[in-house]
Amino acid sequence: MSTQVPASDSAAVPGAGRNRPASRWVEPLLLLGPAGLWLVLLLVLPTLIILELSLVPGIKPGGIVNPVLTQFPNYAQIFDPIFVSVIGRSLLFAIGVTLICIVFGFPVAYWIAVMSPKQWRNLLLLGFILPLWTSSLLRSYAWITILRPTGVLNTVLKALRLPELDLLNTGILDFLKFLPNSAGWATPIIDSWVNLSLAVFIGMSYSLLPYMVLILYASLEKLDLRLLEAASDLGASPKQTFWKVTVPQTLPGIAAASLLVFITGLGDFVDPELLGGVSSMTAARLIYNQFLGATQNWGFGSALSMVLIMAVSVAIALLIKYGGDSAEV
Amino acid sequence: MPPTSLSSRSSRHSRRKFLQSSAAAASGLALSSCGWTLASVRSGTSQSRSDQVGIYTWANYADETLIEGFTTQTGIRVLPQDKFPDNETMLARVLTGGGAAYSVISPSDYMVKKMMQSKLLQKLDHSRLNGLDTLLERYRSPDYDPDNRHSIPISWGTTGLIYNPEKLPDGPKDWSYLWDNKEKLSKKMTLLSDVREVMGATLRMLGYSYNSKSPKELEQAYNKLKELKPYVATFTTDTWQDQIVSGDLWLAMGYSIDAFSVISSQPNLKYVIPKSGTSLWTDTMVIPTSSPNISGAYAWLNYLLQPSIAAQYKRLNIASPNQAVLDQLSSDYRESPILFPPEALIKASEGIALVGDFSKVYDDFWTRLTSGS
Amino acid sequence: MSQTAVKNQQSTKTGSDLDVELRKVFKVFNGETAVRGVDLSIRRGEFFSILGPSGCGKTTLLRLIAGFEEPTAGEVMIRGQSVVNVPPFRRPVNTVFQSYALFSHMNVWDNVAFGLRLKKRGKAEVQDRVKESLKLVKMDTFAKRFPAQLSGGQQQRVALARALVNRPTVLLLDEPLGALDLKLRKEMQVELTNLHLELGVTFIMVTHDQEEALSLSDRIAVMNNGMVEQIGTPEQVYERPITPFVAEFIGDTNLFQGQVETAEPTFVEITTAKGLHITTVTTQDWTGSATPDQVMVSIRPEKIHMSLTADRQENCFVGRLKHVMYMGTHTHCVVELLSGDRIIVMQPSDAALLPDPSTPVYVYWDSVDCLALAA
Repeated sequence: MSTQVPASDSAAVPGAGRNRPASRWVEPLLLLGPAGLWLVLLLVLPTLIILELSLVPGIKPGGIVNPVLTQFPNYAQIFDPIFVSVIGRSLLFAIGVTLICIVFGFPVAYWIAVMSPKQWRNLLLLGFILPLWTSSLLRSYAWITILRPTGVLNTVLKALRLPELDLLNTGILDFLKFLPNSAGWATPIIDSWVNLSLAVFIGMSYSLLPYMVLILYASLEKLDLRLLEAASDLGASPKQTFWKVTVPQTLPGIAAASLLVFITGLGDFVDPELLGGVSSMTAARLIYNQFLGATQNWGFGSALSMVLIMAVSVAIALLIKYGGDSAEV
Repeated sequence: MPPTSLSSRSSRHSRRKFLQSSAAAASGLALSSCGWTLASVRSGTSQSRSDQVGIYTWANYADETLIEGFTTQTGIRVLPQDKFPDNETMLARVLTGGGAAYSVISPSDYMVKKMMQSKLLQKLDHSRLNGLDTLLERYRSPDYDPDNRHSIPISWGTTGLIYNPEKLPDGPKDWSYLWDNKEKLSKKMTLLSDVREVMGATLRMLGYSYNSKSPKELEQAYNKLKELKPYVATFTTDTWQDQIVSGDLWLAMGYSIDAFSVISSQPNLKYVIPKSGTSLWTDTMVIPTSSPNISGAYAWLNYLLQPSIAAQYKRLNIASPNQAVLDQLSSDYRESPILFPPEALIKASEGIALVGDFSKVYDDFWTRLTSGS
Repeated sequence: MSQTAVKNQQSTKTGSDLDVELRKVFKVFNGETAVRGVDLSIRRGEFFSILGPSGCGKTTLLRLIAGFEEPTAGEVMIRGQSVVNVPPFRRPVNTVFQSYALFSHMNVWDNVAFGLRLKKRGKAEVQDRVKESLKLVKMDTFAKRFPAQLSGGQQQRVALARALVNRPTVLLLDEPLGALDLKLRKEMQVELTNLHLELGVTFIMVTHDQEEALSLSDRIAVMNNGMVEQIGTPEQVYERPITPFVAEFIGDTNLFQGQVETAEPTFVEITTAKGLHITTVTTQDWTGSATPDQVMVSIRPEKIHMSLTADRQENCFVGRLKHVMYMGTHTHCVVELLSGDRIIVMQPSDAALLPDPSTPVYVYWDSVDCLALAA
């Protein structure tokens, strides 16, 4: 009975819209225009210029930008095993740091969002993002002071009569040396590019953890705690509740935070440069060196940039495909 | 590739200028058309004011007292300084438009030549400068800039090895020490983060020129460095200083000027110029063509050319190319073997020279060296 | 599972036939006592309601049984076993939440299968039981939908199916129909009754809706301020409330405070503050030393008669009609007595024409139809 009244009302609405078809475009244009212009000028155009530069062999400042479309020496150079390992190293650093940040960030975000007293939450979050207020350079130097052989860490270890560590010069696979019978098979692994610098993981994770915690917090804060009770009521242990309810419910947040950490990690060149020792060349550092560092080759740098842009695009596409599924429910 | 050949090639194409302002991004649109010149500097793009002057120099080259003295003397304010860690970074910045803010820059010898060839430097009017007549003979007409037409030498020095004699009682005598003692020095030594210095020193050890243009020689040097790399803690121009004082490092490749300042805070450390020779470098002051305040730039040059000022200022007095400054130094300084190595060693050394297109070979080896594991 | 099967099962068990027992249970939250010394015994197969105003502690009581809260003092037993410190996921009870709490990242089928899969039931068994369960709540055609694509009533059914599929000893329902509109609520009430009859599982329902409690329950516990005021069948709590709160909370009533004048084994005479003399027949013995001085007299509106003449002496008062409220099947009349008291009288709507406000009317009731309750 009452439903009939709005039905006749709503029938009139599309008719009213049809009288002014042009107005349908005005609002979206006004709303999207400024940001669109911004994106075109500062994102699309520069990317196109990078694409163009990547097609010029050996271009340097002062050189002539004359793209060659028959051969792609800059891209071919990337497939040199050394540079493949550089890209691989960057990806492993970024993936590893993302995992570390999830493992350390999730419990913290969970605790702040779900368990901590409400009146403390903003303060706790503020405390957690404090490191972001200093420059990343400063943070890296601080880690050098802590991790170096005569640094803070070893002073403490020494006082506790524990063995000292040289973390600035330790790879993540160096422990293989201490396994029995490792002499033969472990050496090639330890000497390979996969043996990434531990200090870089520490420095990068430290810098990126606040982003992870902030985004996860926003996601966990919206978590319906009644669902956790429902799961428990249906027989799920706390562990099962975590994996079957908490994680799927916060998956969009986890995905978004991971993506941000991954991309930022992929682009970080300060930590690998300062904490990584001699064997931590990453794609971001290499690109930096090609443009602003000692060895200038803008073409190669641009080609590397394009490859990184592709890697990030793939990551985003994966997020939209798989992270988006759970987000829309 | 020397800029001269670039410009000759550029005349064969129709092209557009790559502008430094963001509006120039539009030029990227026409991808299909022929080439355009990447990053050529335009002068006068920044607002010029006669009461302030921008200076772009090495870290620790100009301290607060020096700057305050300049402002008191001339009434010209010095803009907050930007520092560069190596010549190439400076050049990249200047070429990509960041240079327009600076009235004075401090490139090293070979970079002066490169910038000159790229027409980035103003010709200096010597009549507006004082104190040039007391320059040491050697610096009156250096190879990189005959008659100092575009640059004024302000300090010079060597590249060598700083080490801790408590840990290394025998001490290095030559570059080969690093290879011979690599196990012992593992992760206790650093090399400069500078392609020409590191490649040059290795070339020198192998008996070649610092400025070799032979791909074979370079490859040999590269292979030598590859062998040494796993034992090197890091490639750095400045972070070694704290760490060698604290004892984290036992040996570092560095510039004499940095060695002197580190050793003055930790007198146990020693500086050695390897006997097979090293690089001799000269830091200069130049006025870029894009300088927004030329009279301010001359005022700064004249200020630092005053012997009394230069002598007060450690960074400049320790290796001044100017007799008038040296005369004001104490005997400690004048007799320092770090600052004033024996003539024989100077003879064995050479300045880093431009290698033109061949720099690509240096760059490729360096990129491979630093990229490997 | 049929009711007879449950009955047989019950009879084979020795000892108590109680499913849930609460003994002197207290619950204190940050210094606020939510539950004060509650004793409850809920029989096997019973439809038991906990009724009370919001904030009376009824939901806390349910959460104590489910295990989401642990009692501050006292004991909770399920099937004779103490479940204190047993976490919710190990208790043989399942809950239908007020908000339904369906998992938004799973479709209907997976929601219902959740409990069975955790218990590692075989694929075929899960399949059969989920199907059966969804059929039971008439949601079998919605298995592939996600909760966000369902109406409130449909979500409610899924929540029921998700709980029932586990064949709990006790089904806990927390205001299960609270979020539904009136029509749907009536429908679901019928379905809940049918489900209860069909499955024979013990239902414990928390509600603030007295009508719902009266119509569905075998027994009702009326709670107020953290305590149980009365436990009884719907008839008992309605017809024979033992406290003024219960009398007032369940149904409408007229309450008068008064002083006991005479207390005899069969009747009590009371004088109210404004001078009404009321006689009640009581089943309680008011003559002992515990005879209260002050009592509340409760008379249900539907037990009061109206007349233009004074037909009797006892419990008959004169007044004037003040308001008339037409309620459909019946009519509420507010009569202002000479004493100044107002009394609500409920009349069938088809009763004779009502007098105009200037005419004196008499209201009266039988002494068996009013109760004297210790104030």
